[in-house]
Amino acid sequence: MSALLTARDLYRDYALDGTAVHAVHGVSLDVAAGEYVAIVGPSGCGKSSLLNLLGAIDRPTAGTVSFQGRDVSALGDRALTRFRLLHIGFVFQRFYLMPILTARENVELPMAEAGMSRPDREQRGDELLRYVGLQARGRHRPTQLSGGEQQRVAIARALANRPALVLADEPTGELDARTGAEIIALFERLNADGTALVVVTHDEELAHAARRLIHMRDGAIITQEVLAPNGSSGA
Amino acid sequence: MLLLLAFAVQVVMPQRTIAIDDRLAADAHLAVGDRAVVSAAPGAPGDTVLISAIVSRGADPSEIARGEYHVRLHLDQLETLTTYGDRVDRFDVATRDSTATRRALAAINDAAFGFRAYPSKDIAVETSATFKVVSRFHRAIGVITIVASAIFLLCILLLKVEERRRDVAALRLIGISRRSVFRAIVLEAALVALLGSALGVAIGWLTSAAVNGYYQAFYRTPLRFSIVTGDIVLFAVALSLALGVVAGALAALRLVRTPPLRLLGR
Repeated sequence: MSALLTARDLYRDYALDGTAVHAVHGVSLDVAAGEYVAIVGPSGCGKSSLLNLLGAIDRPTAGTVSFQGRDVSALGDRALTRFRLLHIGFVFQRFYLMPILTARENVELPMAEAGMSRPDREQRGDELLRYVGLQARGRHRPTQLSGGEQQRVAIARALANRPALVLADEPTGELDARTGAEIIALFERLNADGTALVVVTHDEELAHAARRLIHMRDGAIITQEVLAPNGSSGA
Repeated sequence: MLLLLAFAVQVVMPQRTIAIDDRLAADAHLAVGDRAVVSAAPGAPGDTVLISAIVSRGADPSEIARGEYHVRLHLDQLETLTTYGDRVDRFDVATRDSTATRRALAAINDAAFGFRAYPSKDIAVETSATFKVVSRFHRAIGVITIVASAIFLLCILLLKVEERRRDVAALRLIGISRRSVFRAIVLEAALVALLGSALGVAIGWLTSAAVNGYYQAFYRTPLRFSIVTGDIVLFAVALSLALGVVAGALAALRLVRTPPLRLLGR
């Protein structure tokens, strides 16, 4: 498979009370198109910082991130924002849906920003809500939805502009085990339909649903393992 | 013969009529057609008169606190009652137009020593000096209230927008541009300001109606104590909208200039 995302020698340092914190320390990583990668490790090991760099949310102190061969770490703020809108889908632990919008309007938001016509985005919004099993909840506001439903709306929103890559930061972190399992199943279906996924998680079940498991410690990748479809270690 | 005498009395001494104001009518339980005795002093001999009209009082701010009654009598009867003769302290002359007013003023001032005639406008200006001071005082209170409200509104809107930090951060993370976020916040602030001003106008109108209702009943006057005019409404809505847009823009600028991860506290 061709590399969709390439990270080379990534460093991310923060100044905390005058002390430099090395959140990401010399990480190199390739994510192929259609791949499903999980990043695990103890709290504070740099998983989320790495995800932020991969998703062009944050800029590396050193190193490069390329998407489909294009160096995105050199882009300006406006171009980066546009890049995130069109090429990457984000799923957050706390959903971050707009409370004043309905579920369908939340899903349509990135499409409206991308300039899609209203009929097209309404049709796509309905399609995506059906995909995540919430076709009957399109007119509900986030406060009227359960945590699992909100996360499914957030996943539908992440897919709005047909991104090649979806990044998820602890997507089951706020959910109970049963609802978390539904989200895991939805991610598997999403990946089976061709979308590449990079998931940062503490959730063992979610991590073992991936095809590749990356272990991090102290800002660096310490091991990687390829998982068989049933979640067992293949390499 | 008796009939003739009665007729003669009626011709020689017709029933005199007076008009009283509605306040006196209410307090003394009088109505049109009732008879009353008018005299120069309480208990003194007087004339029995027929109440032929009840008149409403004018909206005169100088009269509201006096609690007086108004009675209109025929001039000759008034002269007789007061034993003041045909002397007067003040009288009003109605004229057709401003030229006639000027001529009347000149004629009276030339002819009558000790008298001075003024146009009613000058007298109104002179007698309303107190109200001008009160009006200016009210305006000063109004300006202070508006400035204080503006600062308060500005702070509230800034705080409300600040509460949306996470929403704004999420929007920026999923690729919504600074411009779109800015526009959305300003639009929302403008809508909130418009709705707020509509609510304020409604509350102001109701309060004004309540104030007028209470004081008009208390002072028994048609005078309006509080007025909500179109100009006032327009000014209030425009001011509110301007403040909303400014506050929204200031808060939005602060938010969109902050990196989204910092807005999330990371």
